[in-house]
Amino acid sequence: MNIFALKIEQIRGDYFSTRFDAIVSCLCLVLVAWVGWSFFDWGLLNAKFSADQGFDGCRAVSGACWAVIDDRARLIFFGLYPYEEQWRSALACLIIVLVTILSCVPSFWTAKRLTTLWLVGFGIFYVLMRGGVFGMTEVLESEWGGLALTLFIFSAVCIVGMPMSIIFALLRQSQYRVIATTMALIIEGIRALPLLGVMFAAAMVLTFVLPDWLHGDKLYRVIFGYALFFACYQAEIIRGGIQSLPSGQEEAAKALGLNYFQRTGYIILPQAFRNALPPTISQIVVTFKETSLVYIVGFFDLLTSGKASFSAGEWTATYVEVYFFVALIYFSFVFSLSRYGAYLETRLRVGQN
Amino acid sequence: MSQNETVAVKITDLNKYYGSFHALCDINLSVKKGEKIVICGPSGSGKSTLIRCINRLEEHQQGSINVLGTELNDDLGNVDEIRREVGMVFQHFNLFPHLTVLENCVLAPVLVRKIPRVEAEEIAMEYLAKVKIPDQARKFPGELSGGQQQRVAIARALCMKPEVMLFDEPTSALDPEMISEVLDVMTTLAQEGMTMLCVTHEMGFARQVADRVIFMAEGEIIEEADPETFFNNPQSERTKTFLSQILNH
Repeated sequence: MNIFALKIEQIRGDYFSTRFDAIVSCLCLVLVAWVGWSFFDWGLLNAKFSADQGFDGCRAVSGACWAVIDDRARLIFFGLYPYEEQWRSALACLIIVLVTILSCVPSFWTAKRLTTLWLVGFGIFYVLMRGGVFGMTEVLESEWGGLALTLFIFSAVCIVGMPMSIIFALLRQSQYRVIATTMALIIEGIRALPLLGVMFAAAMVLTFVLPDWLHGDKLYRVIFGYALFFACYQAEIIRGGIQSLPSGQEEAAKALGLNYFQRTGYIILPQAFRNALPPTISQIVVTFKETSLVYIVGFFDLLTSGKASFSAGEWTATYVEVYFFVALIYFSFVFSLSRYGAYLETRLRVGQN
Repeated sequence: MSQNETVAVKITDLNKYYGSFHALCDINLSVKKGEKIVICGPSGSGKSTLIRCINRLEEHQQGSINVLGTELNDDLGNVDEIRREVGMVFQHFNLFPHLTVLENCVLAPVLVRKIPRVEAEEIAMEYLAKVKIPDQARKFPGELSGGQQQRVAIARALCMKPEVMLFDEPTSALDPEMISEVLDVMTTLAQEGMTMLCVTHEMGFARQVADRVIFMAEGEIIEEADPETFFNNPQSERTKTFLSQILNH
């Protein structure tokens, strides 16, 4: 029997083995086909893609009005960033995506290479966006927006939060009771707060508490607050990874004469990260999605600029198309991250046996 | 001074408690350089605890341990110094699974002894050849059999060029057919004059290699003798019972 016939046989066995199964399967097929066709009909066949006639062009068609994307893509991607300078924003996005892809390549997986890669990539991102050097005009953080801002917040939170989470996890594991308990209280305290509250506090309340010279831009206060929140969750994930190691690992490292930092850096953390990889990836995915909460403290992130793109002028009727487009952007990031996580899991399982 | 030159490990009036449990009671033991000691006894008798005290994997509460002239106390510098000179082999190998065999062997010499990597790799290959697995150097520990892993663990400890080697039931977790390959390596090591303290139930090894056999029960040293006397003419009742249990099967 060839593979094709085997597959047919398997499908018959799985979905059509009894009459009831067959009926349910057929109904589901019809439903899927109908939804698929309706979407195809709405989104492609009867859709208007070009914005050359403005919204009026869409009045003639019964399907989707993708013209709004054509017209407002720059607003969605770059927010209120100055129009002539938006190439910088686009390049910055490309670079951060490239850095993310590169850091997925196994040959970059040493602490030194990853740190260098991210610091350099993030540095270029910042210089491109902010300007003020190399003949680029200065663009203040308050003018940043769209996908570029979302990516900026996301990567800044990860870069600041990841080292913080390692320190938190190690302090919580400290042999000194006072340090361990204090750290546990801080972690549990922050984990008990809603992210929205943490962001709001970082944006508004912190200015009353901190001395003037420590204020910084609102954007950085929010990133710091979010990073703290991220670190508290990630610290618990890392701690779980550390605790799943057999005690013999630490003992063998001690017996060889390695000091605390050598044991932690070369033996404990690499293995702990490996164990904690699946929850770490999901934490990163959640962090990416929840960047959209920054709209509450007045930032013009991807979701907010999407909303802005239809709420003014002629495009008010096209919110479905815009949200669909924005969802597609989020989806492509999140889906590739989670697929990559699944690939890593199988890869590491193979390496460990 | 002359005593310091010949004594490798000197344990005086050692007491160790786990909470209210008295794990080691008034242990006195002196091991000369080049001496091979086999420690045996029923499980829970404190034999593993005793050798784990020597490189401070366990902390003792009373008494003193002096290793190669360095006093083992709360001074972390002393602890580090002793750990550099004392190698240890564990029951469950405890190789680092994320590092290759070679990296396992090179790690401590490079980090602790500050030996250049190239040189450390040469030393490592030398010892891997000695334990007869140089061809596995690039593999990960998980790809090796138990016996091979334990031999790597011995090589890893030897790469630090220790003065004293501690063996904590090195063959207990092995399949029977792999025990002899590990014991062979240990025997060779003994013949080359390494100072060894072995917790083991391999009485054949004890007969062949040991200078002294120590029998422990309930945290105390019950009997201490050369292998000939220990096996043929044990003094204490408990030793006799233990030997009859372990030899008559």
